[in-house]
Amino acid sequence: MPSLGANTVAILIALGSFPVCLALTRFFMYWNSKHGIIGIDVHKLTRPKVPEMVGAAVPITLILFAAIYALTGGASSISLLAYSLVVGLAALVGAVDDRLKMRGIFKPLLTLLCGLPILILGLAFPGQVYASTLHVPLFGGYHLPLIYPLTILVAVSVTSNTVNMLDPLNGSMAGGISIVAGGLLIGSLIIGASSMPIFLYASLMFSLLGFLFYNRFPARAFAGNVGQLSIGASIGALAILGKTEIASIVAIFPNIQNSFFFLSRIRRFTEHRELTSKPTKLLPDGRLADSEDPRAPLTLVRTLLIGRPATENEIVSTIWTLFLTSTSLAVITLLLTGV
Amino acid sequence: MNRRAVGYELVVFVTQWVLMLIGFGVLTRFVAPLNLLNPSLSLGLYFDAAAKALIALVLSVTWLFIWDRQVRLYFHRRGK
Repeated sequence: MPSLGANTVAILIALGSFPVCLALTRFFMYWNSKHGIIGIDVHKLTRPKVPEMVGAAVPITLILFAAIYALTGGASSISLLAYSLVVGLAALVGAVDDRLKMRGIFKPLLTLLCGLPILILGLAFPGQVYASTLHVPLFGGYHLPLIYPLTILVAVSVTSNTVNMLDPLNGSMAGGISIVAGGLLIGSLIIGASSMPIFLYASLMFSLLGFLFYNRFPARAFAGNVGQLSIGASIGALAILGKTEIASIVAIFPNIQNSFFFLSRIRRFTEHRELTSKPTKLLPDGRLADSEDPRAPLTLVRTLLIGRPATENEIVSTIWTLFLTSTSLAVITLLLTGV
Repeated sequence: MNRRAVGYELVVFVTQWVLMLIGFGVLTRFVAPLNLLNPSLSLGLYFDAAAKALIALVLSVTWLFIWDRQVRLYFHRRGK
């Protein structure tokens, strides 16, 4: 077990990502507004204009702090480089999608490539980036020398896209994933994980809290695909680098349910903006309700609104509660895995 | 806010979590130790890995299928 000092130092360095991300978010709000990078908050009666792509602050902060941590000698530079490249590539795919509005199929395909840095650096530096042994709760583990490397690409693509799909309301993604990161941080501390995943989970959580300050209801900043995809890719990369694969799947249960039911109804990769049948509708009193359109996907938000309209704030609080539950199960999973 | 729906979601998550642990248990205890093809054969190692990956895929699809049925049972009929 690493000394308490190494973990304390890791968390203290990661703490710095909160003010940095806060400042970067503020900067992007100003810059993006000035350059016309603006979206409309369609879940408000006044339909306010909100700066888009402000979530770029998160991957920049994550990469910056990974570099700082590597310079302090806190962890293997190779692992931190792999993590930074994954986050950076996913941010790039998101930024291109934000600007060019690609068709729905391109995001999952392009994010498949985002896991390549872990795979390539892992093959070039065996044992330094990932281990091909999957540790299973209660039952030990098994070695997957051929399958594990291939699942890396799928894992990063799935996590980045599933996080991308569950950000319909103010703060739902940033709050939800900061709960996930916080829970996996606590779990990693309890089981005595190495200081690198502890640092990266702490850094992700504090960065997201910095962004959430402006993204919470009523949002003054939108993450955009650049933020959502990179944050999802960060969760996927951390699951592999931190050996928290199964716990990470459990923690993002709300995302998995949302994506699965979206895809099972729509039966293709598509963008929300391209949907003709919307899952929810805005009532004249400002509350959100189930659209009752049988052709619309059964999203997580829609299931919460069946028969009972609610305010945006109430729905987001409920989504965070669901993340709290799934993350608690993830922490139990980590304890049962005990690696 | 539909409080009952929130309760259903929590039941779904706990059920799927338990099923997931059982599924990984089956893979670890029964599937992984199997020697489906002789590793000394040409490409035997690769076919063995592919066969096991296929079993894991079938288990994953079954898991998602149960999840799908559970959610549809709780929410879909009410949504109609």
